[in-house]
Amino acid sequence: MSSAPSPDAGSSVPAVEMHGISKRFGDVVAVDGVDLQIGDGEFFALLGPSGCGKTTTLRMIAGLDIPSEGRLAIFGEEVASWPPDRRPVNTVFQAYALFPHMTVAQNIAFGLQMRGIRGPDADRQVAEATALVQLEGMEHRRPSQLSGGQQQRVALARALVNHPKVLLLDEPLGALDLKLRQEMQVELKALQREVGITFVFVTHDQEEALAMSDRVGVMSEGRLLQVGTPAEVYEHPANRFVADFIGRTNLLEGVTEGPAAVRLDAGAVVAAANELAVGSPAALSVRPEQVRLHRRSEAPAGAPCLDGVITDATYLGHAFVYTVAIGPTAGASGTHAGERAATITARSETGSAALAAGEPVSVSWSPEATTVVAD
Amino acid sequence: MPSEPRASRDEKSQAVSTLGTAGTKRSARHLLKANAWFVFAFLYVPIVVLVVFSFNDSERVNVWQGLSARWYGEALGNTQVISALRVSLIVAISSTIVSTVLGTAVALALDRYRFKGRRALDGTVYLPIVIPDITMAVMLLVFFAEVFKLIDTIGPRFTLGVTTIALSHIAFNISFVAVVVRARLDQFDRTLEEAARDLYATPWRTFRRVTLPLIAPGIAAGALLALTLSLDDVVISAFTAGPGATTLPVYVFSSIRQGVTPELNAISTLMLTASITLVVASLALQRPRSTTP
Repeated sequence: MSSAPSPDAGSSVPAVEMHGISKRFGDVVAVDGVDLQIGDGEFFALLGPSGCGKTTTLRMIAGLDIPSEGRLAIFGEEVASWPPDRRPVNTVFQAYALFPHMTVAQNIAFGLQMRGIRGPDADRQVAEATALVQLEGMEHRRPSQLSGGQQQRVALARALVNHPKVLLLDEPLGALDLKLRQEMQVELKALQREVGITFVFVTHDQEEALAMSDRVGVMSEGRLLQVGTPAEVYEHPANRFVADFIGRTNLLEGVTEGPAAVRLDAGAVVAAANELAVGSPAALSVRPEQVRLHRRSEAPAGAPCLDGVITDATYLGHAFVYTVAIGPTAGASGTHAGERAATITARSETGSAALAAGEPVSVSWSPEATTVVAD
Repeated sequence: MPSEPRASRDEKSQAVSTLGTAGTKRSARHLLKANAWFVFAFLYVPIVVLVVFSFNDSERVNVWQGLSARWYGEALGNTQVISALRVSLIVAISSTIVSTVLGTAVALALDRYRFKGRRALDGTVYLPIVIPDITMAVMLLVFFAEVFKLIDTIGPRFTLGVTTIALSHIAFNISFVAVVVRARLDQFDRTLEEAARDLYATPWRTFRRVTLPLIAPGIAAGALLALTLSLDDVVISAFTAGPGATTLPVYVFSSIRQGVTPELNAISTLMLTASITLVVASLALQRPRSTTP
């Protein structure tokens, strides 16, 4: 598990530090022993399917849920038992939770008022926050009179006006349509750079997490499975779940044959570095864009190749996606007992020659492009 | 636009025609229409008669002599009526205030907290709504008698009066307020409270600034309902009223034994107007607020 500090970590004290944090609701374990450090100024994404505990983790940082176990510090201060109103963090809620009986300006001023900041000083800060999220002219509207994107901006301004040490965002883009979501991704990232505040962002959308964050933490069933930069998580998934959840991948089942080789169930021994004990069941993860396809007759000599047959070819405009059957039924020579067929998805740029379904092909990849993952 | 009603009428008659021939279809429609008018008349003709005859100039209720507001003047000049009205207002206002506070607190507790006996309380808090008035009245009378016996042994003498009427009204009004406020709380989004807490509001300020303003229409509706029920109550008030303290409805009920007078018509009309106003206001408050720019 990688825990490299973020590239722009400002101070040595982490913004958020968790040690053995667990949360149980009755018999249900929502979060199970999470250790995590988030650096100052980092844009950190907590990624996982719904029900994986990512929102509960965020709520514990906010103080809306109190951990059952473990230590939680914000900039070095132990806050695990503090109520939310004492914590130097603010939250952008999933459905924004704007106060319907207040105007935009009153919503934004709420946190300032609660901290006793009133008068011209508060007005100036509200105006600044309104400008920051480009909502000038909307100050006197009610939330119900705003579009989803505008409500999102109010929620951001309402949190940022307080200059929190950490901004927590719970699926902030989930309620927006695709186009607006992509615009807001860019905007949110620019905003984070501008204000320099640590952002902790919860999402179930892996593309969003990879695109926006400095580091990603992948969660499943209450556990934090892997923490790393988007590239680390994508290229070197720590286990089968992460490999499968982050992007598309081919998981080829097999058994390790040593620190540098895996015997695939589909019937070939391929080079693949791993740290597992010899003979452990494992899967080889190969990203579709790393798979190279050759007509069988044109297979490069010397390269490790698997033989297969194209069963499906899909044209996507900028690329082709091929499904290739490999293994015993695909006409590969030298079939052994116990070998099982598998399919590989491959992607290639449209510029290369198109291959048709039914065509016999050779499949290869560079060993560095693969990762061996266990359960 | 003008063709639309006809189109929908055609659809309806088509739907009805599957039930029978054209003849039965037509008579069924006429019967339904007649029934609607009959129900309407059944409900409102007595009210119209009451209101019209309250403006009758005659000494006798059933003889029309001409339009006049004379009986309104007589009613308002009658010291017994005025003193009964005073008792009614004191009871209604005090019981409304107390039951609104307590009913709202009950609704909040039932909505938010999981405590021992919550389910039992949840089931029984609405009991006063369903038990018959007469049962409640007897129950309260027996209760007060026992309590007074107990207090008498200590010293001060208590008797039935304004206080006991007010206490009785509080007893049933709490339930009605709790029902109305809880309906409002069901629609309340608790994340708004979390947002307030996240924005540095203490629990109390969260309640004052976020929860209370958003459930206020429900509380106001409950209060108006309580006020109406208190002003209209006869049975429970009659049982718990002492010799010196009569509410207006109880006064009307006891006067009617000496025959209906035009004065009673006038009082009843005034009470009707007050009730309708309060109920309409209560309904208007319970309606989800439409967004106005």
